[in-house]
Amino acid sequence: MSARPAWLRSGRVVFGLSVVVLISLVALFAPWLAPHDPNEQTLLSTFLPPFWAKGGEAAFPLGTDSLGRCTLSRLIYGARIAMTVAIVASFGAMIIGAVLAHIAGYFGGWIDWLIGRTVDVWMSFPPVILSLILMVGLGTGLRNVILAIVLVDWTRFCRVLRSEVLVVTRRDYVAAARLIGFSHWRTITREILPATTPLLITLVSLEMGIAVIVEAILSFVGMSVGATTPAWGQMIADARQYIYDSPWNLVFPILMIFITVLGFNVLGDGLRRTLDVRLTETQRA
Amino acid sequence: MTSILPLIARRVLVSVVILFIVSALLFCILRLLPVDPAAMSLPPNATLAEIEAKRHEMGLDQPLFRQYLIWATQVLHGDFGTSIHFRRGVAGLIGSTLPATIELALLAMIVAGTLGIAGGLYLFHVRGSAMEPIADAGSIVLLSLPEFLWGLFFILLFGVALELLPFTGRLTAGFQRPVVTGFLLLDTLLAGRPDMFLNALKHMILPSLALGIAFAPTIMRVLRSSLLDVYQEDYIHQARLRGFSERHILLRHALKNAILPTLSLMGVQFGFLFGGTLLIEVIYSYPGLGNLMVDAVRNADLPIIQAVGLTYCVVVLTINTVVDAAYVILNPKLRIA
Repeated sequence: MSARPAWLRSGRVVFGLSVVVLISLVALFAPWLAPHDPNEQTLLSTFLPPFWAKGGEAAFPLGTDSLGRCTLSRLIYGARIAMTVAIVASFGAMIIGAVLAHIAGYFGGWIDWLIGRTVDVWMSFPPVILSLILMVGLGTGLRNVILAIVLVDWTRFCRVLRSEVLVVTRRDYVAAARLIGFSHWRTITREILPATTPLLITLVSLEMGIAVIVEAILSFVGMSVGATTPAWGQMIADARQYIYDSPWNLVFPILMIFITVLGFNVLGDGLRRTLDVRLTETQRA
Repeated sequence: MTSILPLIARRVLVSVVILFIVSALLFCILRLLPVDPAAMSLPPNATLAEIEAKRHEMGLDQPLFRQYLIWATQVLHGDFGTSIHFRRGVAGLIGSTLPATIELALLAMIVAGTLGIAGGLYLFHVRGSAMEPIADAGSIVLLSLPEFLWGLFFILLFGVALELLPFTGRLTAGFQRPVVTGFLLLDTLLAGRPDMFLNALKHMILPSLALGIAFAPTIMRVLRSSLLDVYQEDYIHQARLRGFSERHILLRHALKNAILPTLSLMGVQFGFLFGGTLLIEVIYSYPGLGNLMVDAVRNADLPIIQAVGLTYCVVVLTINTVVDAAYVILNPKLRIA
């Protein structure tokens, strides 16, 4: 027996976790890693290609954009926005979704009905449309992007977790806990929550990938953080305008978003396979 | 058969109720906005008294609930107000952009369905073989690519690098588009212009491929897992004992039963896909509902945002209702209920 827990022995988990940790470190140490200030403009050298292509300069390893800003530095600083949104927004959405799911699944009855119908109303909005409308109402800025994602995506947690809670609540040991005289609060936190936690962790990991995408979408249409904060979506919007001047500027932010989301998804998939004890052998395969 | 109708009627009723709640919600969110729609619809040199008069005219000095009632009544009469930015009727703007978005969504759904079912059959086919981990990893990679990254990737590859296909707008400049139904593909055919039809279709290949391919992996995975479930059933074993070929068992027995949850998921996906058209339209400068919405958002054009938001919800709710109804009709097990 290895000393490592089962979930750390899964190749998927290790791969996903490495990607996520690496990008988090880049975001954390951005001021030390970035060769330039992300907003510093060098108007004499706009649309530089990366250093390995013809005409590239070593001072700008991944080239420059339409205003002569360093692409690498902007990518590194963009990771800060992406990771902040990914972590804060998905935990926010998880907390609201999980609390409501446990209340709905445990108590059932009219409160379950009410929460269920609220989710129905929410789900009738396409997520992108709802987050755009929320951003119009709330105004741009990092705090509001996070708020908008939390307000849109709590339903993902609520819907999936509720049915899980429903199953767990019917188990004998939950009834036994009630018979011993556990309060509702204690039954939920001590008996039900441990059983739903694996699913919760998996969902958070997947949600982080979704949050990265939603932030990129919002900053692509200019409804995320302000123009002075570098974000990957913004870089894409800028590069899309000047696609013939420098296709490279489009390639790098796309790659960053893809790698980040892939990291979260592979991590989530690995966790699902290793943590969910009820998966049958056929599903695990 | 008689028991199906009440079920469907109930579902329609629920949708109508949801729509009312959604519209009220939409109205409240947009009233949080720090800008004053009255001041925005007047020239910048308007006096405070003029703004006040305009506020009164637009009903903005009334309580929120009254404002909502006024708006809802107008909407029910087909009056969505006037755009602050474009200075045109909102209903007309939606009428001229919605068909384009529907065309895009339908084409993308065909792409998603075809790729999804083919991919699902393939994933199922390679189960237990050496290809499985590779195919499985491939499907996770595909899941990680949202439609807008596909869209940009296709522009780079087929538009800029290979110069194979156009990636802006709907028609090459110089074509005079006929307007009969508003659906460009249909209109070009009705006008007897196959050259224009092909040109329009060419412009739609990249956007619909990008959108469809992003939604295919989910369909693949559901079809694969429902096929796996079906293969646990006794009748598959029995079919094998009767000597049917594996191909016959898969296509004639298993697929028939596994396709139902897949179709139901495709319905839900169609709702998401319809929302996904927004980004694809912006990326491909495709003149549909999504571009109208983003323009309106940038200009804080409230009447359009409200109306377009509502339009998206109506379409999604309609799709969900139709899918539910189809599910009841297709699934014999639900007919007794």
